[in-house]
Amino acid sequence: MEREVLLDVKDLQVNFGQHKKKFEAVKKVNFKIYKGETFGLVGESGSGKTTIGRAIMRIVPSSGGEIIYKGEKINGKISGELDKKVIKEIQMIFQDPQASLNERAKVDYIISEGLMNINKGISAAERKKKVDQALLDVGLLPEFATRFPHEFSGGQRQRIGIARALIMNPEFIIADEPISALDVSVRAQVLNLLADMQKKRQITYLFIAHDLSVMRFITDRIAVIRKGEIVEMAETEELITHPVHPYTRALLSAIPMPDPKHEKEKKLLVYDPDMHDYSVNPPSWQEVRPEHYVLANEKEFKEYKKLYY
Amino acid sequence: MREHILTVNDLEIQFKLRGKCLNAIRGVSMEMYKGEILAIVGESGSGKSVFTKSFMGLLEQNGHVAGGSVVYYGSDDGEEVDLTSIKKEKDWMKIRGREIAMIMQDPMTSLNPLKTIGAQIMEAVLLHQKVGRGEAKAKTLEYLTDVGIQDPEVRFNQYPHEFSGGMRQRVVIAIAIACKPKILICDEPTTALDVTIQAQILDLIKELRHKYNLSVILITHDLGVVANIADRVAVMYAGDIIEIGTCEEIFYDSRHPYTWALLSSLPQIGVKGTDLFSIAGTPPNLYAEVHGDAFAPRNPRALKIDFVERPPYFQVSPTHKAKTWLLDPRAPKVEPPSVVEKIRNGGLI
Repeated sequence: MEREVLLDVKDLQVNFGQHKKKFEAVKKVNFKIYKGETFGLVGESGSGKTTIGRAIMRIVPSSGGEIIYKGEKINGKISGELDKKVIKEIQMIFQDPQASLNERAKVDYIISEGLMNINKGISAAERKKKVDQALLDVGLLPEFATRFPHEFSGGQRQRIGIARALIMNPEFIIADEPISALDVSVRAQVLNLLADMQKKRQITYLFIAHDLSVMRFITDRIAVIRKGEIVEMAETEELITHPVHPYTRALLSAIPMPDPKHEKEKKLLVYDPDMHDYSVNPPSWQEVRPEHYVLANEKEFKEYKKLYY
Repeated sequence: MREHILTVNDLEIQFKLRGKCLNAIRGVSMEMYKGEILAIVGESGSGKSVFTKSFMGLLEQNGHVAGGSVVYYGSDDGEEVDLTSIKKEKDWMKIRGREIAMIMQDPMTSLNPLKTIGAQIMEAVLLHQKVGRGEAKAKTLEYLTDVGIQDPEVRFNQYPHEFSGGMRQRVVIAIAIACKPKILICDEPTTALDVTIQAQILDLIKELRHKYNLSVILITHDLGVVANIADRVAVMYAGDIIEIGTCEEIFYDSRHPYTWALLSSLPQIGVKGTDLFSIAGTPPNLYAEVHGDAFAPRNPRALKIDFVERPPYFQVSPTHKAKTWLLDPRAPKVEPPSVVEKIRNGGLI
């Protein structure tokens, strides 16, 4: 079955600084996101996962490579028409609901700002209708529209952030750690809401997080990223049950599970990047199991292949 | 019988806010044993931080202990101290650091950016141990090695910005250890850190506990962390410990509906494609008096009496007790949700 590719990231590079101070945050990253799926990017702080999300949103400029959305290149210089389309169709949900809402604007304005930017002539009545609907969609009440962000709890504020993205009727949402700033009980509510929206509207998600246990629950495929490079990519269950790259294995072993016996017996794997000897034989992208890719050189690839056979 | 280091009896803490009175801690009783790691879990606003801050006299200006006592048995002269009766800052200084030390959540903000790491640890050594500067430096280097920082000689002269988040948290731990406390309170020590670093810090805390004979109170909302490190677990809801028991008892045989709800809402438990369990409603308003079981309005299994009378502790085993009417002999039999079974059978991995 051929699935429709919604977003194709080819050799994406993002550098910060110039000349001597140049820092490569993202090094030639490749991945495809299919329509209707939830794709997860997992990595530790400093791995470049947020930078990739921001490069797709065009918040940071890319330094090389291509980002292709529905067959059209959207990084670099693009036409005004495409620009408008991309703004409308790709939306973002941010990590910290305390910091990502304008403190001095009412909820009504926060949610409808994007709408007014795209459609300048929208009537007040229609706008209100859309805001009310967006609030209801995320489980808030329409009368909240006249309040300010500080009047809400963290979970409610994150819902406002989601309503702001949904009102644009996006096809693709980038969610950057949408639940890591929330309380345990509220996390479940927000995850359910995101999953529910996907079912109702066939939204495609790029989910950025550091927590593999959350990723397992919500994503279809996962890419593990380290120091600006994707080291392993596979379907979620495949990756979690059959990890091959030592970094992925270390990451998985570090997740604390709510089971004291398991925790007390478990052995922590530590990843040491020096274990790879790439001086003679540089690594490349290899398919180790069906639809399961890993960054490895020939020698490592042979070892990885043996792991589960 | 194990030796107690701290007993809390019917502790009540109130805050005065805009003329109203907020009951943050509502009659908590608990004991802590020497050398154990006790985890306190709960949602934000459940009072877990306030509870432990009161052991060190660190409540905000508008907060005060309204009743009960916190008795500390650890002081060197063997005398019992009621921490709630300490009023003067001077007396608190004898407790803080020396007897009870605290590690905060964010290692970025708990270090002084203008002083070298070495100077900050040495300050604690000089203040709390009767040693000269030369010896203090030697001890500082030893502490740095103990918390797993390599090249301590070089690191000694570096500033906090030259350290990564995990390394900074190690430095904060070194400072706490340098005070030679008997009780170490860790308030969400790993929340700001990556999972791999988190695992290392937890291992470090376990290691140091044996080396320095510490009793550790760990405040967290992450049940995975609790399973990893705790000996006993106290579950806090709306300013009260509603269930307390050994780590195994809480994870494999919990009795309070709130503990069930907390376990059920873990993403680790979730099955893809189905809704994750979420607790309906919001925690009660603590400005008003809470009638009955504070969790009753959010509890689909609530009994009538839950809305009328506050449940006392029911003993489940000598080490395990819970405040829920479900444990009363007259209560109807209510089956715990499937998640409890699932965890017990190790069905998570």
